[in-house]
Amino acid sequence: MSGIETVKVIVDAEKQAAKMIDDAMTESAAIRKRIDSLVQQQRQQMLAEAKKQADDITARASAEGRVEAEQFEKEAAQALQSLIARASTRKNATVEKLLSLVTRVE
Amino acid sequence: MAETDKFTEDILRSAREKAETIIREAQTETQHASDEAKASITHESEAVVRNAHADADAIKRRQISEARHRTKLREQQEKDKIVEEILDQVRKRTSQLAADEARYTPMLTHLIESGIQELGEKTVMIHVNKADLERMSSLTQKVGKSLGSVRVEWSKEPIQAMGGAIVSSVDGRIRIDNTLDQKFEALEPKLLIEARASLFSE
Repeated sequence: MSGIETVKVIVDAEKQAAKMIDDAMTESAAIRKRIDSLVQQQRQQMLAEAKKQADDITARASAEGRVEAEQFEKEAAQALQSLIARASTRKNATVEKLLSLVTRVE
Repeated sequence: MAETDKFTEDILRSAREKAETIIREAQTETQHASDEAKASITHESEAVVRNAHADADAIKRRQISEARHRTKLREQQEKDKIVEEILDQVRKRTSQLAADEARYTPMLTHLIESGIQELGEKTVMIHVNKADLERMSSLTQKVGKSLGSVRVEWSKEPIQAMGGAIVSSVDGRIRIDNTLDQKFEALEPKLLIEARASLFSE
C-alpha cells in the first residue's frame, strides 16, 4: 500500500468515525425529544385524571351538602312550627301580662 | 498494512465507544428526567386532589352554614311577626282602657297626680284627650285630694292620646308627659323583651 492509499484509508476511517458520532448525537437528540414528548403526554393524562377525580369529589360534596342542608332546613321548619304553635297558646297570657305592665300604677 | 488496519480499527472502536457513551448518557439522562418529571406530575396531581378535598369540605360547610342562616332568618321573621302582633293587641287593648271606667279612672287620676308631683309647680295645667275632657267634672273631684295647695287648671284643647294626661306648667314650658301613648312608647323595649320571654321560652 502506497503512502497515499494509507492516508486515504485513515481519512475514510476518520470520516466513518465522525459519522458514527454524528449519528449517535442525532439519536441522543431524538431520545431526549421522545422523552420530552412522552413526559408532556403523561403529564396531561395524569393531570386530566386528577382534575376529573377533583371534579367528582367536589360534585359529590356539593350533592351531599345540598342533601344535608335540605334535611337541616326540614327539621328546622318542623321545630319552627312547634315553636309557633307553642307561642300561639301563650298569646292571650302574654297580652295580659304586657297590658298589666302598661297599666301598672307605680 | 497491518499497522494501518490496526490504526483504523482503533479510530473506529474509539468512535463506536464514544457513540455508545453518547447514547447511554442520553438514555440515563432522559430516564432520570423522566423519573423526576413523573414524581413532579404525581405531586402535582396529588395536590389537585388534595385541594379538591379541601374545596369539598368548604362547599359542604358553606351549604350547611347558608341553610343555618336562612333558618335563623326565617325563625327571626316569624318571631318578630308574632311579637308585633302581640304588641298591636296590647296597643289596641290600651286604647280601649278608657271604656273600662272602673279600671281607667283610678289610673288616670294617679297619672295626673304623679305628674303634678313631679312637676312641682304651684299652678299646673292638665291636658287630656277629648273623651276625658268630657268627664272632666268627675275627674276634678277626684284629682287633687292629696295635692295640698296646688292649683289645677284644665286645658280646654284636647290632646291626641289613647289616655292619660300631660301635666304642664301654666306657660307650657315644662311638661310631664303621662299619657298612655308615652308610657307605651317608654315601655316598648321592655315589652318586646317580656313578650319574647313569655312566648318563646322553653
